Amino acid sequence: MKFKTFAAFVGPSVFLMLLFIAAPLVTVFVGAFQLTQPVVEMVEEETCTPGFVTQTCTTTTVTRPVLDEFGEVVTTTEWVGWTNFTRVLDPEAAGAAIRAMDWGQLMQVDFYAALRFTLMFTLVTLPLVLGTGLAIALAVNNAARSIRGPVIFISLLPFIVTPVIGALSIRWLFIGDGILTSALEVWLDRDIAMFAQAWTIELMMLFYRVWHVAPFAFVIFYAGLQTVNQDTLESAIIDGASRWERLRYVIIPHLMPLIIFIALIHLMDTYRVFEEIVGFTSQAHVISLQWLTYDFLQPDDAGNRAFGRASASAMLTMVGIVFLLIPLLRRTWRDHKGGSH
Amino acid sequence: MKLKTFLMAGAMSAVASVAMAECAFENEVELRSLSAGFEAWNAVTDAWAECGNVQAELNQEFRTLQPQAFAADPSLYQIGGVSNGTITPLLNEGTIRPLDDLVEMYGQNLRPNQLIRINGEIMAIAMMVNTQHLMYRSDIFEELGIEVPTTWDEVLEAAAVIQEAGVVDYPLGATMKTGWNLGEDFINMFLGYGGEFWNADGTPNVNSEAGMNALETMMAMTEFMDPEYLVSDSTYVQQQFQQGRIAMANLWASRGSAMDLEGESQVVGLVDAAAAPMAVEGAAPATTLWWDGVVIASNISDEEAEAAFRVVMEGLDREMVEANNDAAIWLIEGYEPGRLALGAIATASATPPPPAYPSTSQMGLMHTALGNELAAFFTGDASAEEALEAVEAAYTTAAQEAGVLE
Amino acid sequence: MSDTPRAMRQSLSLRLGSAGFLALWCLLAAFPIFWIGVMSFKSPVDAFDANPLNVIFGPVTRDGGDGLSIIDIVLGLVYLFFAVKLALGWLPKMVAQHSPGGQVWAGWIIGALAYAISFVVGLFVILPLILNGLNAILGPLGNPLIGLTTIHYWSVWVDNAFYENFINSLIVTVGVVTVSLTVGTLAGYGLARSGSNLAFWILIIALIFRALPHSVLVAGYLPVFVNSAEILRPILGENAPTLYGQPLAVIAVLVSINQPFTIWMLRSFFQNIPNELDEAARVDGCTHFQAFRWVIMPVMWPGVITTGLFSFLLAYNDFLVTSLLLDQSNQTMVPAIAGYFNRETTTTDQVEAVAAAVSITAPLFLLVMIFQRQIVSGLTAGAVKG
Repeated sequence: MKFKTFAAFVGPSVFLMLLFIAAPLVTVFVGAFQLTQPVVEMVEEETCTPGFVTQTCTTTTVTRPVLDEFGEVVTTTEWVGWTNFTRVLDPEAAGAAIRAMDWGQLMQVDFYAALRFTLMFTLVTLPLVLGTGLAIALAVNNAARSIRGPVIFISLLPFIVTPVIGALSIRWLFIGDGILTSALEVWLDRDIAMFAQAWTIELMMLFYRVWHVAPFAFVIFYAGLQTVNQDTLESAIIDGASRWERLRYVIIPHLMPLIIFIALIHLMDTYRVFEEIVGFTSQAHVISLQWLTYDFLQPDDAGNRAFGRASASAMLTMVGIVFLLIPLLRRTWRDHKGGSH
Repeated sequence: MKLKTFLMAGAMSAVASVAMAECAFENEVELRSLSAGFEAWNAVTDAWAECGNVQAELNQEFRTLQPQAFAADPSLYQIGGVSNGTITPLLNEGTIRPLDDLVEMYGQNLRPNQLIRINGEIMAIAMMVNTQHLMYRSDIFEELGIEVPTTWDEVLEAAAVIQEAGVVDYPLGATMKTGWNLGEDFINMFLGYGGEFWNADGTPNVNSEAGMNALETMMAMTEFMDPEYLVSDSTYVQQQFQQGRIAMANLWASRGSAMDLEGESQVVGLVDAAAAPMAVEGAAPATTLWWDGVVIASNISDEEAEAAFRVVMEGLDREMVEANNDAAIWLIEGYEPGRLALGAIATASATPPPPAYPSTSQMGLMHTALGNELAAFFTGDASAEEALEAVEAAYTTAAQEAGVLE
Repeated sequence: MSDTPRAMRQSLSLRLGSAGFLALWCLLAAFPIFWIGVMSFKSPVDAFDANPLNVIFGPVTRDGGDGLSIIDIVLGLVYLFFAVKLALGWLPKMVAQHSPGGQVWAGWIIGALAYAISFVVGLFVILPLILNGLNAILGPLGNPLIGLTTIHYWSVWVDNAFYENFINSLIVTVGVVTVSLTVGTLAGYGLARSGSNLAFWILIIALIFRALPHSVLVAGYLPVFVNSAEILRPILGENAPTLYGQPLAVIAVLVSINQPFTIWMLRSFFQNIPNELDEAARVDGCTHFQAFRWVIMPVMWPGVITTGLFSFLLAYNDFLVTSLLLDQSNQTMVPAIAGYFNRETTTTDQVEAVAAAVSITAPLFLLVMIFQRQIVSGLTAGAVKG
């Protein structure tokens, strides 16, 4: 294919990605090394606010930004080097905690708490999703043909349902005296509060994520199972391979590319875990890396937001992702060099 | 697309035909408003819509958008709904206009109390006040012979009695959801103990006696609360009340009327309200006063501003209040306080009165720092002192970044 | 599998284990969704009751005078049974017969819409009319047994004009799927057929883009979109549009965010189509584009449908982008529901939100029901090999 034709084919797609992904990314990268501040002045200000019947007026000194002749806020932008990163990583506190071997103290720095949860979440859900997905696929493949349709339909539900709504529906089952909490209370004969401590919340999040993603793994594995070479399977039977050995030596190797595919999609998606934190309002106990970035960006009532720190934490998150992706990148490079042409 | 235009046209004409009956004038300028989405705003924006050509956007996440939308030229919205917290960025960036002329022309019905003045200029028109008040189950209190508490110590004693009697799941409820709510509860308690957030040089001062006292009292409260308090927001506490699971809570006044809602409340008529408790005997109630009101953007033409202001006045009139009397503690002519509003009014008119929540950048930064860092204390990951130190550190970083602290 | 070899036959315990596991999984998969469905039909007091039986039977709702009698339940189940049967059997046939050649997808869209509308009308208008009459005649059999009220659906769809959000969702979703597939198939084809290093790097960079946390990107859009009139004025003059709140702008953003996944997926489909096919077309004198349009695309439909479904899910379910960049009049369904929760809500609002949540799940149900086979066969044919 000539370059010109190639460019015509990929042009629109590349243009969109450059405009809406690469450009904001560059802003974020630059922003991570900058600090933009308004120029402020101290002014005496008399404020009158209503009571129920009469007003109270107070005079205080407040800081207000300086406005230029067009009514815009005057700002200064400085290059601050690694300051934003230092503020996010807090190496001093982290170093002290590590030297003292004090895990609890290390977890007091938000970034490490977020990193711990994100990594734990990613690594724990991965085998669970693969295992559950494969198990469902094998079981469906094993079921009578007539019930496969409905079963596939039901199995896909958790995947297609809107994530916000899926998370809420699980939350309702557990929050306060939700029916499942009540059921557990009756069964275990003790008072249970699922949202009162970190580990139960983490458990619910893990459950939600596996519930939500396993159907995706299932449907891919199921598609893969349809293409297992029957001859190989039969010769394995003739060789006297047990059911387990057939699974281990014929089916799993056949599904290997799919396992890698799902694992990578899952790693990427789980590494930016965010909806669960919001859906289960777990900020008090558990936070994730993307939530940290989001929180820095969220303006408070007074309109302040920490763009520099948000950029820095976003860049740190990205570094983590690139690390996770290295194995896949190498594989793709080999495929590319091996060449389909 | 066609279908949508068609439907919109239908809806518009339906609105338009009703409009003329209710609104004193026919508005012909396209106007848009952005505000929070609670009950009072529903009432007010519905009244605006009657004048025609007003598109109201109610969105609880409006604070993300409002500063930027008002800073655009021309502003994306002519009318803004704010509170004393969210007006700050608009004041800072000068994106709302002084209203003195307009008040003079069209504001005959406004009470002086409603005019929010900054350095003498009217910058906003308040429509309601909001504050916390102590809601309690009058039937339980009567049965157990408990006096209505006026201080937090008495609240804790009463809670112990109720706990003992075992008549409800949890004696106390509180809006201590991590983030804004938790910050707000601490601010109330901290001010109740006479705390000052800042030293004279602008450095934070929450790691003080008042801070320790506030945390201690809050921790003592949690003994009597649902252990899931770190996820409980106002709606959740309100629901606990309605389902008869709690007996007391210091809750927003705007939540009062929900207790008497037939159809969702199981405690209709059983909940009464009193002034927010004091942290220290003889001091102001441990709470802050809030107001909600309306601002007009500055990056719009004078004609638009005039039309916008006239529409606003139509919404903030006697008829609207009479139709929605219990939706808020209105400041507008014609308001008759209901049974459940009495607590909030007692709070607001206490002597000494509780302070108004200050509209400053520093307060916003402090609120965020408190909301994020205090949770560690309640989960047991940090001591009170460590948590308050963390608040100060977080505040200092954020304030330095925002340029309000050297 | 009647000709299963003996060694493939399974012991009873294995079969039972497998069936039991499947049953458990189906229960887990369906229960939360089933439960919000139940909640949405109850009065607020019942919906949030701690006792599951009260939630199911809804005593307070029943006392309020809304309920289902045995007759209602039986007839309702019969109605549902036939509805499902029609959707799976009759509908595909009708579509296949009446669609003009090559335009099957259009037939599906019209068919599915018509079906959905008549289903809703039947369930909520015709059936209640008949049943009201029957219940009055039948005495004790007609007494309500299970409390059930559709009032929340009424307030969501009629009072709160949820249909506007529905239409907005439709606009955004259709826009995203069409643009995404158009741009994506072109790029996917180009990338599959080019062995250049550039193609490789585009894919790698797209992969990294795929992994980016979205909140980082999205926060960058807001100031630009809000101020776009000011920014674009020097170029476009006075007609410069404000992009904030425009569905078109949101479509562009969602398409871009989704591009990496789309091109990867489509590329692997294209790679499974033998190169000889386009070479033969080229020998016959076609340009690259003609070969793509007239030779490759016709055999690509399974891949396009599968990828389209993923685009659909992304656009339909998106919350972050739509909630931040659309104003109220153009809001899609998901952020509109979040609005219900974020408001200072009453419990009634919450149940309404549940009803809205169930409403937006319903079209997804229909979609999966129809396209289920295509998903599996599409994945079997293409993506899973790559």
